[in-house]
Amino acid sequence: MAEEKLVPTVCPYCALGCGFYIKLKEDGPEIEYMLDHPTNEGSLCAKGNASLEVINHPDRLRHPLKKTEGGWSRITWDEALSIVAGKIEETIKRHGPDALGFLGSAKSTNEENYLFQKMARTLGSKNVDCCARRCHSPTIPALKRAFGSACMTNPIPDLANSDCIFVIGSNFAENHPIVARWAMRTKDRGGRIVVADPRLTPTTWLADLHLQIRLGTDVALLNGMMKVIIDEGLWDRKFVAERTTGFEELAEKVSGYTLEKVSEIIDAPPEAIVKAARVYAKSPSSAIVYSMGITQHSHGTNNVSACADLALLCGQLGRSGAGLYPLRGQNNVQGACDMGVLADFYPGSVSVHDPGAIRFIEEAWGTSALPIGMGMTAEAMPVAAAAGDLRFLYIMGEDLVNSDSSSSRGRRELENLDFMVVQDIFMTDTAEMADLVLPAAAWAEKEGTFTSSERRVQWIPRAFDPPGEARSDLSTILKLASLLGLDFDYAGPEDVLTEIGRVVSSYAGISKERAEERGGVIWPCPHPEHPGTPILHQEGFSAPEGRGRIVPMEYLPPAEETSLDYPLLLTTGRVALHHNAGSMTRRSFSLMKRSPELFVEVNPQDADRWSVIDGDLVEVETRRGEAWARARVTPRQEEGVIFMPFHFPETNLLTSDVIDPEARIPEFKVAACRIGKMKGV
Amino acid sequence: MEVYVDIDRCIYCHACEVACERVHGEARISVGAVEERASVPLFCHQCDVAPCALACPAGALVQGEAAVSFEAEKCTRCGLCAISCPFGAVYIGETAPLQKCDLCSEREAPACVLTCPTEALIWGDGEDGAKRLRRRAAARMAQSCAEAIGRGRI
Repeated sequence: MAEEKLVPTVCPYCALGCGFYIKLKEDGPEIEYMLDHPTNEGSLCAKGNASLEVINHPDRLRHPLKKTEGGWSRITWDEALSIVAGKIEETIKRHGPDALGFLGSAKSTNEENYLFQKMARTLGSKNVDCCARRCHSPTIPALKRAFGSACMTNPIPDLANSDCIFVIGSNFAENHPIVARWAMRTKDRGGRIVVADPRLTPTTWLADLHLQIRLGTDVALLNGMMKVIIDEGLWDRKFVAERTTGFEELAEKVSGYTLEKVSEIIDAPPEAIVKAARVYAKSPSSAIVYSMGITQHSHGTNNVSACADLALLCGQLGRSGAGLYPLRGQNNVQGACDMGVLADFYPGSVSVHDPGAIRFIEEAWGTSALPIGMGMTAEAMPVAAAAGDLRFLYIMGEDLVNSDSSSSRGRRELENLDFMVVQDIFMTDTAEMADLVLPAAAWAEKEGTFTSSERRVQWIPRAFDPPGEARSDLSTILKLASLLGLDFDYAGPEDVLTEIGRVVSSYAGISKERAEERGGVIWPCPHPEHPGTPILHQEGFSAPEGRGRIVPMEYLPPAEETSLDYPLLLTTGRVALHHNAGSMTRRSFSLMKRSPELFVEVNPQDADRWSVIDGDLVEVETRRGEAWARARVTPRQEEGVIFMPFHFPETNLLTSDVIDPEARIPEFKVAACRIGKMKGV
Repeated sequence: MEVYVDIDRCIYCHACEVACERVHGEARISVGAVEERASVPLFCHQCDVAPCALACPAGALVQGEAAVSFEAEKCTRCGLCAISCPFGAVYIGETAPLQKCDLCSEREAPACVLTCPTEALIWGDGEDGAKRLRRRAAARMAQSCAEAIGRGRI
């Protein structure tokens, strides 16, 4: 019998960190379920099952490519890297290091992201960021302020121990299906699921109570619930007194959020608000699950803060079953943030405004000149390119032009750059705009650690060789760093992980061996004997004085309202069969077959009003642009709101570029629009 | 052993379809939905008196005790089985003469069951599967009863 080999791996799609085996055998690789993985117990969603389809895909980039007048021409790695190094040096000499921009990747390993930002900052550039800016950037300031650390508080399987799961702005049944596994176990135990969502989704199917709220009215709902909880005396007096600050201010702020007022703002019955408040507060342990329905708003940071306030008010934190769950989107978005691939944080959540803490990193890196202060965010980089402040952009594994809001603007702005290099596994629309494209290894073609949404750090071994001349991001960065004269002396990812442990205290006890064990280690893990910390905030918060900070929020409406010209609201989101900007899933045969094209969901009343028939190609237009999509007439949408998934490039031609003032995330979730049958179709 | 379905748990995620296609080349299970309310995975019921086996003139579909098995070399692709199946769970495929769930006979448990995120598909013998479904149903009903007799949380 031919030899077979089982290589453990972690799914490359969403941030749940599900494990499976890649079975290597003569007639091709196959997936084998990993029944003893703590997060998924073997189960995988459709995307996980399809994940190997991108590995040997004919579209994979196999050689470095340089843009010439006659199109792309193949060059050697040596040529490619010396061009990149030359452009970096030239840009620094002519415009200073802040004319350099670096976008890291939530799909690359911790070690790669760590070295990427280290390279950027050692070169003197503050401009380091990643796609976390577009999904959970509001979670970071809001939860850092509230709890002192910005991440999921409990592991996913612990949801099964909750008596109530309050879901707001998350359609996990489609976007993180494995979460539904644990939510179902809650129901098996008699627990309750309450979902606040403007849409009907497979997640709302699971709900005992669904509040179909108006788009962007989350703070009003949360404040209304908190007023009910305070009025009825359901808040946790002991927890609030001993472990929080800010209760009085909250009580005063929410006193204005009467049931009548909130009911009118959110467009849901007052009884439902009271029910939701009671079941969350009265259940012995309750969890809040939220995702981009909360964060992708012009007041996303306020939305997250209001969620944290509710948890603090009711003492629903720091215990099994009681926690706050920001569900993150990319397999290593948590890790990229931990590694400091953010314009506002160095590794280990060290603020870029804190010279004292940065000095510690300078010592660790053997340098004395690290930049201090806020860098350009992913959203600011195209704007700065248009203004001539950003000259050079290095993008590692990210389809910026398709994931940015109001994307035709971003595309125009990026054209103004002197030089752009993109390192990716496919020729994405962003790579098409680059001057130079470097072929990268996909997840299972390299080794290193990934950190899941539940802070689980898992090491994966290499299962395949990269195609053609493609290389891991790590080896590309190391080569480039040596051309730039940086002292990056690492034998491989294990060496880098050791250095991460010295710089990022929560990773101090995480070695390759420990991360290789089934399920890895959940940080904080401050020393090698430490078991890891599945549940945060059990004793105290890492915020000042160990107290959680309740920061009351005022409801603000979304930035765009309907008008005579744009009478409908467009909201965006995800579907079960695609992932983010779609560069992988749109190349995956078994997924495309089931979800082949962009669609727009329209409520039957709106369809009547605007003469839209199910299956029509229709044109959707906003102030930024227009796009066509296949109409699905369905009561999943409320009257007045249409929905489009953002996995197809056209959707983000339409989305709003109004940003949250604090987290700088665009309001992907609300845009005024109109719809009509496409002319001539 | 059979595959049971807990309709309450199906979330229309298509994981079973993609897993089945990955293993067999074509999906022998398909999930249909009333989009705004519920979804159901459909696959061969392994009927006790299987219309497809009765209809098959070539003896390619064989009525067994626990399953309806298929002998590919006898199939003439006449399509009577596909017409006779009341669930559309048997069809003439693109890659094989006939596509029909064989309960992943070469594996320990069917891929669709192992991959199902919500455990909506249950692998067990008659009593086993029914017992698990019953236990879940009882928990849900107990919850409603608690509400009705004033012991609910809401």
